Order: sequence, then C-alpha cells, then structure tokens
Amino acid sequence: MQSVMNQQNRPIQRQNTKAQLLRKIREYDFAIVETVLFLDTHPNNHKALNYYHKLKVEREKVVSEFEKSFGPITMYGNENKNKWDWISSPWPWEGEC
Amino acid sequence: MWIYEKKLQYPVKIKNPNPAAAKIIITQLGGPDGELNAAMRYLNQRYSMPLDVAKGSLTDIGTEELAHLEMIGAIVYQLTRNLTIDEIKKAGFDAYFVDHTTGVYPQAAAGFPQTSANLQVKGDPITDLMEDLAAEQKARTTYDNILRLMDDPDVCDPIKFLREREIVHFQRFGETLRHVTDNLNSKNFYAFNPAFDKRKPSCGMKKNMR
Repeated sequence: MQSVMNQQNRPIQRQNTKAQLLRKIREYDFAIVETVLFLDTHPNNHKALNYYHKLKVEREKVVSEFEKSFGPITMYGNENKNKWDWISSPWPWEGEC
Repeated sequence: MWIYEKKLQYPVKIKNPNPAAAKIIITQLGGPDGELNAAMRYLNQRYSMPLDVAKGSLTDIGTEELAHLEMIGAIVYQLTRNLTIDEIKKAGFDAYFVDHTTGVYPQAAAGFPQTSANLQVKGDPITDLMEDLAAEQKARTTYDNILRLMDDPDVCDPIKFLREREIVHFQRFGETLRHVTDNLNSKNFYAFNPAFDKRKPSCGMKKNMR
C-alpha cells in the first residue's frame, strides 16, 4: 500500500498496480543479482552480506503482495486455490509483463 | 527469467568411475536427442504457441530439461573422476581426453559437437508439437539403449528416472496437441498454420492470407 494525495489534498490509500509491483520486484531482483555476483567473489564481505539480507526480506514482501493479487511469478506461487493461474496470459515475451 | 536451484532433480551418486560409460552417456548432454537440444527446442518454440496450455507446458517441460542436462553433466563428471592415464587409454577415452581432458563438453557419443541442426522451430504449433512428441520418443529410445549398455546400478538408477520423464513429457505433449487441434476452426484440421494464417494457403492467395 502506498499513500498518495488526491486533488483535495486528502491522503487516500491506493493499491499498488501490477506494473508498480513488477517494477519493485525487478529492482530488488537486480539489486540481489548484483550483490550475489559480488559476494561470489567476496564471500567474506560482511557489508555486502548484510545488504543481501536486507534485500531478501524486502523482496519476499513485494513478491508475496504481487502473487496474492496478480498470480504466480514462479510455479511455486499459485496462491489461488480454485484456479491454475500459472499458465494465464500474458506471458513475459508478449510485451506486457 | 530463470533462477538456479542448488540441487539435482534426482540424486546422482556413482561410486566407480567408468570413462567408457561416460563416452556413451554424454550423448544425452550434447547429442541429437539430448537434453540441451530438448530444452532449446521447447523454450524457443513457446513464442508461436496460441494457447496458454501450450505456452505453459513448453515453458515448464523446457525448464525441466535444463535440470536433466545438469543430471547428465553430474553423471559424466562422476564417471570420469580420479582416472589414471592407463584407465583412460584402456577405455578408449583418449580421443575425448586429448581435446577436453576430463571437462564436460556437450557432444554426441560419436564425437560431433552439440548443434541446433538437430532441432526445429517451425513456427506452426501443430508441426512443432508433433516434433516434440517425436523428440520425447527419440530420447526415450536413447535411454533404452544406454540401459542396454550399462551394468552399474548407480548409473542405471538416475538413467531410469530420466527415461520415465520422457514418457511423462510425451503424454503431456499429446494432451497439449489435442488442446491445440480442438481449438482450431473445424475446417482447419491440419490444413494451415494457426499461428500465421487465417485460412488454408493456396497458390496466389497472398491477398487473402492474413
């Protein structure tokens, strides 16, 4: 959830859109990949390891929020108990996610 | 996008090295009906699939093939550990050894390197799924032949698992093909490419094609 101001300058609560959440996941993923590659060659660097742990927790939160509203991003994330959402379009190569 | 899981899909624990066996099994790494070609075939055919069922199956089976590629790599690696030069010569592993030492290189049993000349992406869902059914049978036959040539249970156990997966994939591709044909216009049963045309191609039909 994020807080924004409407035209009357009153704060309203608004759900993150799919695109916003996906952008956040991508940002965390990229930060994690960069940190992992660094840690692979600097396995004793505590600053990088702490950063990795901080990112890991944040990523889990955003992925969980995404999967509850918009379906799985891995085959382990089909939260819907009544439907197999995993195969639902759009697929990544179709330009929409 | 993909992420790596630090485990094999099914365990590979081989006690006795056997470079002669490695020379044969390596064909499922980089041979014509090997796991690398299987993964590349399915993961690249996905783009022109018209149905979610087909996009999903090709993605998930293509991904599982990458896990199988790793299992074959592990088998070849474990079969070629701690070899002496005498063992290498005796097993006829010297020709491979001179080029790759005991590295794991994707090649066929007969020595030619992995090539996508052994797979096709035709851009026609029916044609591609038919190829996939054949590919699973060819891989199953290859595993049958490997089992005929092996006598170490440590090797046969993971090979049997991989052979069974070929049969399951064949079954799922059969169902996928049925979904695709069932969703075609009844007048278009095997007649034209549902990923490209709207009607049956004929000579000079350029105007009516799309």
